[in-house]
Amino acid sequence: MSAEAAADHGDHDHHDEHHHELPFYKKYIWSTDHKVIGIQYGITALLFLALGFYLMMVMRWSIAYPEEPLPSWMSWVFSDEWKARWLQDGRVTGDTYNMFGAMHGTIMVFLGIVPLGFAAFGNFVTPLQIGAVDMAFPRLNMISYWCYLVGGLIMVGSFFMESGAAKSGWTNYSPLANFADGQIVNQFLAGQTQWLLGMVFLISSSLLGAVNFLTTIINLRAKGLTWMRLPFFVWAMLVTGFLLLLAFPPLEVAALMQLMDRTVGSSFFLPSGLYTSGAGIIEASGGGSPLLYQHLFWFLGHPEVYVLLLPAIACVAEVIPVNTRKPLWGYKPMVWSILILGFLSFVVWAHHMYLTGMGPVVSTWFQTTTVLISVPSVILLTSMVVSLWGGSIRFNVPMLWALAFLPMFGIGGLTGLPLAFNLVDLHLHDTYYVIGHFHYVVAPGVLFGLFAGVYHWYPKVTGRHLDTFLGHLHFWPSLIFMNMLFFPMLVQGMAGFHRRWYNGGDAYLSKAEDSVNVFGNTVAEWIYLNPVMSWGAWLLALSQIPFVINFIASIWVGKKIKNDNPYDATTLEWATPTPPPHGNFTFDIAVFRGPYEYSRDDHEGDFFPQWEEPKRDKPAEVPVEEPTR
Amino acid sequence: MADTPEEIKKAQKKYLLIGLILFAFTIVTVAVATVPALDFGKHGFDTWDAIIGLCIASVKATLVALIFMHLNHEKKSIYLFIVLGVLGGLSLIGLTGWAFIDPIEYGTATEGNGFFNPEMVIEEE
Amino acid sequence: MEIPYTVTARKDTGLFNAKVGIWLFLASEVMLFGGLFSGYVFLRIYADYPWPERALPVLPGLINTFVLIGSSVTVVFAWAALKMRQWRRFQFFMAITIACAGIFMVLKGLEYNAKWNHQAVRMDDFTIVEGHTHKAVIDEDGHFHEVHEGDDPHGTPFKANAVIFKAERVSFSLVRAHESWIDSMLSQAEERHSKLVAQKQKGTTGIFLYGALVDFEADADKRKAAEEDIVKEYQTAEKIARKIGEKSLYIPDGTPLSYALLKKAREIFIAGRAHNAEIRTGILRTKWKDAHANHPDKGNWEIADEAKITPEDTAGQIVKVLSTLAFEMDPPVPLVLNRSWIKRPIPAKAEQAELRDDTTLAGALQDSPLALAVDAVDFRWMAQKAVEADKDPMKVIESSWIFSDKNEHAAEYKKLWKMHKKRIEKLEEHLVEKYKRDKLGNPKRVSTETERYRMGWKDLLQYAKAEEEGVFPGEEKFDDLRPSMTDGFTGPDHKNADVKRLHAFPELKVPHEKVAMASAFTPKWNTYYAIYFTLTGLHGLHVIGGALVLGYYLLFSKGLYRQNPEWLANRVEVGGLFWHFVDLVWIFLFPILYLM
Repeated sequence: MSAEAAADHGDHDHHDEHHHELPFYKKYIWSTDHKVIGIQYGITALLFLALGFYLMMVMRWSIAYPEEPLPSWMSWVFSDEWKARWLQDGRVTGDTYNMFGAMHGTIMVFLGIVPLGFAAFGNFVTPLQIGAVDMAFPRLNMISYWCYLVGGLIMVGSFFMESGAAKSGWTNYSPLANFADGQIVNQFLAGQTQWLLGMVFLISSSLLGAVNFLTTIINLRAKGLTWMRLPFFVWAMLVTGFLLLLAFPPLEVAALMQLMDRTVGSSFFLPSGLYTSGAGIIEASGGGSPLLYQHLFWFLGHPEVYVLLLPAIACVAEVIPVNTRKPLWGYKPMVWSILILGFLSFVVWAHHMYLTGMGPVVSTWFQTTTVLISVPSVILLTSMVVSLWGGSIRFNVPMLWALAFLPMFGIGGLTGLPLAFNLVDLHLHDTYYVIGHFHYVVAPGVLFGLFAGVYHWYPKVTGRHLDTFLGHLHFWPSLIFMNMLFFPMLVQGMAGFHRRWYNGGDAYLSKAEDSVNVFGNTVAEWIYLNPVMSWGAWLLALSQIPFVINFIASIWVGKKIKNDNPYDATTLEWATPTPPPHGNFTFDIAVFRGPYEYSRDDHEGDFFPQWEEPKRDKPAEVPVEEPTR
Repeated sequence: MADTPEEIKKAQKKYLLIGLILFAFTIVTVAVATVPALDFGKHGFDTWDAIIGLCIASVKATLVALIFMHLNHEKKSIYLFIVLGVLGGLSLIGLTGWAFIDPIEYGTATEGNGFFNPEMVIEEE
Repeated sequence: MEIPYTVTARKDTGLFNAKVGIWLFLASEVMLFGGLFSGYVFLRIYADYPWPERALPVLPGLINTFVLIGSSVTVVFAWAALKMRQWRRFQFFMAITIACAGIFMVLKGLEYNAKWNHQAVRMDDFTIVEGHTHKAVIDEDGHFHEVHEGDDPHGTPFKANAVIFKAERVSFSLVRAHESWIDSMLSQAEERHSKLVAQKQKGTTGIFLYGALVDFEADADKRKAAEEDIVKEYQTAEKIARKIGEKSLYIPDGTPLSYALLKKAREIFIAGRAHNAEIRTGILRTKWKDAHANHPDKGNWEIADEAKITPEDTAGQIVKVLSTLAFEMDPPVPLVLNRSWIKRPIPAKAEQAELRDDTTLAGALQDSPLALAVDAVDFRWMAQKAVEADKDPMKVIESSWIFSDKNEHAAEYKKLWKMHKKRIEKLEEHLVEKYKRDKLGNPKRVSTETERYRMGWKDLLQYAKAEEEGVFPGEEKFDDLRPSMTDGFTGPDHKNADVKRLHAFPELKVPHEKVAMASAFTPKWNTYYAIYFTLTGLHGLHVIGGALVLGYYLLFSKGLYRQNPEWLANRVEVGGLFWHFVDLVWIFLFPILYLM
């Protein structure tokens, strides 16, 4: 991949005496260098994001123009045989919509955002920001990436099976998920089973990655880098690592149990006496519990959404100080907030399950903890907003993305509050309101934060800046079309529009007066928004083209950086050559101060990097920790 | 952590002793569960046998963790990891259990369910 | 470039990297097994059937517990030896540890094997029988025949746990037909001197399949006439094939079934389907364009009726596709179908059977009894159902099928049940004697439901021995005849000399329609076995993984020992920590699964 070629240009120039020339495949393919692995994760994740986006575009056609065949500008990617199997006279069928919907969610969450946010950014930036030479376990790091790729390929490969890919929602609830594709004789060729196998690989990859990250952050910090001098990015990665470490195993258990249900016929999640029209009375032992699956799934599911969010906050929290020339406001409260957020995220999960028949007392517990968990999130967001106050703001492209993240994530978070309440959720559960809420958090929220990170660190990875004009051409239309796509969902959802319906909701056309909701709305009033949203989605797709061009072309023709620290930033990743060589630092790195020493009254120059030795007339701060390595 | 040869020799004696204690506890667990003369509570297997069995298992597990796995002279941070793991497991089992134990009580049209009384008159505003 | 703190500990955390890593990993493993244990707890508490208690033989589990505890001790001795730089001692203790792992897996394998070869049947009245399925054959007359040891079977024996269906016609789904099932049907047909041939078509001598438009398709009658001309002129299938081209196929009546034929037909079907889809999509797009143009203000649902494809639109443009092919059995013979192939339960006297690959068979269901030698009869679930329906469990049990005239072996079961009832009676008398009654006059201790309603293999063997010796429940000698904890290491042994001599395990033939569920003792049988195999299986995989890592250190670490013994000691310590965790999990698994 050409990005790695550019990244390793520096290899021939550095002075590390342990360097030996590695063959091509060890340098770029089976690499154990965290930077190469980070780039591998990043590019793979971006490709998966594009795939997930495409699936959504097809779904939006079905919603906006029900009963109409897919236009040729969308259907040309599919083969004739595939179209004959999955499109009915060119129209999106319910089965196909469900399949695309389930895979859209799975691909975006597990193959797209988590690998991009945690694995790609975390891998590339974290060791640099803590002054380490690499991750604690480089070979384990490599295995993590390949596990991820294998899991992803299994899942994507399932689209080409006779059964198609998984089609029971990204949540894959039993008993539907047990039976979908159940008649396939060799279950290992069934899309649903392959989804589960893919998940096992993905979860293993994340677990190994989490162990690596946490060990690195705990044990490989440079001298002088105490916990409270860590860039906030590293704190966020630390908490994300713990979330992945402790929350993923129950989902692995659930996936394993569902896999056994499908392949050896156990009844972990099948209640007794089930009957399907396809197979009559199911010959299974019964006695199982579908609710158990939901608990195990959401035990991961809720920490998972913080796994999606925290890397984005990490990126934004780095971009803001650099571009306001001020320290991050409220660093300590932010650290405490993120730790408390991590803890609380383990005891809120059943707010996804309010409609499963839980009694009022246990629902109250989950309501309370869910409302409580909004407090640390608000503290984080507020701190970042207040950090702008009195700053000398540079409105470069990364900063634009970071600034847009704040209100977009704000809308996402605030729209989540009504859902926290059992009573309100009775009305809003499984409506477009929920879809609007979580997409606001993840799409204009998390993704904007990650774009901020991409634009911000691209010069460090490649030695060239991304083009500013194309950056604006990417940013402004994305912002507009994201809102055009997701805001109406909140409105439709409050009127009661059900989610996961493939034909745009013709059931809602009867404008029965007594079907009005508490706001005086019927869905029928808002159905005209469907094509508006779909066009938002398709134009949003077009808006990404400037980014693709920019990302690829700038490697060769982008403006070269003037020095290794083009932004005059203070954190350790800017102390390396560009791109950083194997081993990262060319001098013995030590840390003498906090991560955001900008505009200090007692220092000339508007920034004081962490690694710069203090002036001689001041007594040298003795770096706390250990002797030389 | 035992580091000098003498300390390690002493530690080995301790490990052997703990191993024998674990063997003994295992025998006790099986005996309580199978030997009719040691039948507490109901005839056959009942809650008492379960509690005794699980308590003995917990003691054995603690001995293995503290002594074989050196947890008793390990750094605090390691304790933190294990505590987080155990807390996570307990919250999973505990809160899921609570959700199972406290279900919605469905009433009927005439009887209500303790919260809602169908005969209650709602004031029209 | 060396990663720091791989060998020496970092001063402020006091830990080297691998130690941090392994404890983090163990925390996640606590969550992993915690998730499984939570599954166990909820499946057991909310089970709607009687949870099997003491269903597993205790002795192998107990030995395994000792083996693992011992290996925990030896692995820490191995690490200590390494710290004291005693290489041979390290090798010695490490070898024992790995040997212990091996013993553990062997015992586990024996346990699993015994369970997987043990049959269980639940009848529609909730009677459960367990035992060893016999083999059977379909003889020359097409009849079901049990085959016992020493018999000379005429025909290929199969497990007497199958569905026997005399098929006249079999229809295969081109897309989904499963090759191994077809091969089985073909070899069975051959064995029974029959064959499967393409079904005779009315009015023609074969079927034409098209994957694309052929010239003469425009008019249906003209097409038929043209096809008949081709058949007359070219006569053989190969010549016809060459005439009509690659994307078509001609199957003359009487062509024998083969998977290759179905594969070719599938290709044609897929091509034809793709062709049709393209044409129809184009037409539909045009229709919608027109509909939108005619009604610019209306929404899609309002104009959907206008944008429909009519037969006139497609006339002459699309091909007729066949997604199934039907074959005749000539002559109809019984086919033995695996129970797992069947898609939906086949009622008695059914004339149709569907397989999971969408194969349908038309004919008649034959007698398909499940023939087994029974080593346990379990009425617990029946008793639970009876109590739920406010009926007397004993009455319901004694009027069940297994004791009725419809069961040809009923007499043996009645005899056993009588002896069993007597034994439980004596047991209850003994309990009342020993533990007295409470204030309300109820006995303080009663027999368990397992004792009352289940006759296990030990009971059956005891009763057979008692009958031989003329001893009865209540006499001391009766209790002595009961097999002990060490008999039957992994469960009932049908080849045991005593069992065979005394015919301790009676025969049973369960009619097909009475079988609600039949399975070996696998995860399929009930949620108890599901969670048991999952828990112990995952644990076993961890044992294997740990043993492989420790084995690597045993065999391949001499070089590292010479270079950097402290690093090796660290790695062995980390491996040992994992090993102790594996032991820890078993410490909980053993009482929970084997004793509770």
